[in-house]
Amino acid sequence: MTRKRRHSLPLIVGGTLVGFIALMALISIFWTPYSIQDMTGGRLGPLSSHHWLGTDKLGRDLLSRVMIGARIAIAVGFGSVLIGAILGVILGLVAGFAQRWVDESFSAMFDILIAFPTLLLAMLIVAARGASLTSAIIAIGIGMSAIVARLTRLLVKRVLAKDFITASRASGTSWARIIFIHILPNIWTTLIVTFALQFGFAGLTEASLSYLGLGAPPPNASWGSLLQEAQATVLTSPVAAIAPGVLLVCLVIGMNLVADGLRDVADPTLRRSR
Amino acid sequence: MKKSTKRMKLGGIAVAAAVAMSMTLGGTSASAANSNATIDIGTLHEVQNLDNTANGGAGLTEAFTGNVYEGLFKLSDTGKVENLLAKSYKVSNGGLTYTFNLRSNVQFHSGKTMTSADVKYSLQKVTATGSQSPQKSALSIISSIQTPNPSTVVVNLSSKSISLTYNLTYVWIVNSAIGDMTSTEDGTGPYKYTSWTRGATISLTRFDGYWGALAKNKVVVFHEFTDGTALNNALLSHAVDIITSEGNPDALAQFKNASFKITNGLSTNKQLIIFNDKVAPFNKALVRKAATSAIDKAKLLSSIWGDYGTVLSSVMTPIDPGYEDLSSLNPYDVSLAKSELAKAGYPKGLTFTLDTPNDDPHPAAAAFIQSSLAQIGITMKINIITTSQWFDKIYKKRDYTATIQNVLSGRNIGWYANPDFFWQYNNPRVTALVSQSESANSLGAQAQLLKRANKLIVADAASDWLYLYPLIVVSSSSLSGYPVNGINSQFFVYNITKN
Repeated sequence: MTRKRRHSLPLIVGGTLVGFIALMALISIFWTPYSIQDMTGGRLGPLSSHHWLGTDKLGRDLLSRVMIGARIAIAVGFGSVLIGAILGVILGLVAGFAQRWVDESFSAMFDILIAFPTLLLAMLIVAARGASLTSAIIAIGIGMSAIVARLTRLLVKRVLAKDFITASRASGTSWARIIFIHILPNIWTTLIVTFALQFGFAGLTEASLSYLGLGAPPPNASWGSLLQEAQATVLTSPVAAIAPGVLLVCLVIGMNLVADGLRDVADPTLRRSR
Repeated sequence: MKKSTKRMKLGGIAVAAAVAMSMTLGGTSASAANSNATIDIGTLHEVQNLDNTANGGAGLTEAFTGNVYEGLFKLSDTGKVENLLAKSYKVSNGGLTYTFNLRSNVQFHSGKTMTSADVKYSLQKVTATGSQSPQKSALSIISSIQTPNPSTVVVNLSSKSISLTYNLTYVWIVNSAIGDMTSTEDGTGPYKYTSWTRGATISLTRFDGYWGALAKNKVVVFHEFTDGTALNNALLSHAVDIITSEGNPDALAQFKNASFKITNGLSTNKQLIIFNDKVAPFNKALVRKAATSAIDKAKLLSSIWGDYGTVLSSVMTPIDPGYEDLSSLNPYDVSLAKSELAKAGYPKGLTFTLDTPNDDPHPAAAAFIQSSLAQIGITMKINIITTSQWFDKIYKKRDYTATIQNVLSGRNIGWYANPDFFWQYNNPRVTALVSQSESANSLGAQAQLLKRANKLIVADAASDWLYLYPLIVVSSSSLSGYPVNGINSQFFVYNITKN
């Protein structure tokens, strides 16, 4: 039973999908079929042995652009989840430990931030800092930190109520030590599932931002900006819209499946209940 | 049981829809043009306010010029200057005095009869301090205006102006009692303005007191779109009857059937790269020439427009006086560009930022320029901004190195004669030639002088004029009588009929 669960199907399928995108991103760092500035292909060229996915309006190779888009999606996923995790866990710990009004005001702040649409927050940050990949990562990271923080607070409170914490405190263990040896090890499995979900969500939000022209500026080819460019030519050259769209779906579904699989494998409560 | 009722309902709807469709189709073939028709026009041009001396925008020119307001002269759809509110005119005093004889019994929409005082007021409004009319500097040669009687206007010029009548086609004759006209109108045109919702619609209704032939339709509504795809879909679903200027050649495939008509006409809409000629690195003519020679304009045009449009080599389009093909002065030649850049003192290349408006096709054009300049070692950063940011940052504050934009009006060479224009090109010889051309005695002499000035401007690569847009009008096949050219973004609607 246990072995079967470790090799859960969602994890394998999700891992394959995300792995494929990650591999594409990795390769694009060292090699793409054509340079991003290369405009030697024909206008809206068809799929061919030279251009596997055809070319765009300016004669640029679509496969190369899609590969670079994968790099941006993965970078945004990692970057914003990292920011969200660091900010969220710290804030969540503070709120979890705090008493009464500090806790309540923190919780209220998280609720407000969660209610605030991430896209709107991102637009505000982009307006203040200018459109760039970093702005997008920061914006999405901040937006996600509230969700992490609320979850962390809840988990921390739950662990703090346990008898072994009281015992540990009674034996003179410092709060810092309690956090590292008791709290974090007990909550990370749940958090990691959230991070995996957020990874896919971050890719989707970045695509929305780029679609609106607020993401990474050209020549960076985010999937969102590829979709935006393809919109005008979708009748004559549909692959330009389908390719980034399908990859975006793969990333989000892949990460959701990975999250599912991780929960199956890692969550001890689930394991016991089955 | 439930299921079957549902199906029956759906069937009922389908039958009703089929009946409705056959009725409309029948109507199309049988009845003649309806003079009380409402024409819905879809446009991508914005209206900022209702005053064309206060930066009202191309959307306002399109909706109001010739429709709500009229000038002393009219620029026809084919680009000819014709008398409109001026019945006739006389030139005397060696070309320095113009006497305009006004059409009689012309009424403003408010009911007042037009007099010479209104014409004087309208002309002064364009040249007044604070006026943002593009014709302000061209008409600043007007030294005084007299109104000896209600139907005569005498305009005295400080120097001769051969294109005065052309420039007057831009000047709306407004009721002198109007005051602030940014949200109201009082013109003499065949339509009265009825309402304006910013960013959405501007509606006109036929003016039955019009002095000339009445409009052939009753109501015209201009629908403003910011997205070309949304506009195309509006035409496909018959939410609008006509698109004044289709921006996407790849969208035309869906209109190539019996329900729609496509025309390819003349425009004066031009795409250009604007260098700030006073700011490094583009204060050096050699750097501008290098940048110009690094860009394959023919490829850029075909990337954006497919088989449509015309490549430009200067500010002039083929219908401008003095036009000639100057593509040999800054040819597309990457090695020439590289050597010019090195000669200018940038052998290792340079880096600059191109402020790019976010509306199509600017971002795509910017990406093309970025790749082209990379070939000669110029690293170009793209800063995407909105149209209003563009006006503030670039047009007003001149806080930029280079930018791209499109210019909708024709005959723009005069801007290079003004050292204070926002691209800050200063060449006294050009200024002198352009002002001499205004004083020329014949159109031929004017063209010769403008030709010389234009050559100097191109030799300096003051700006890089990339291509002339096509003007593709797509309309529902039930419409006729609409203009097919887009000179100075005018769109006369009074002859449009709907079957």
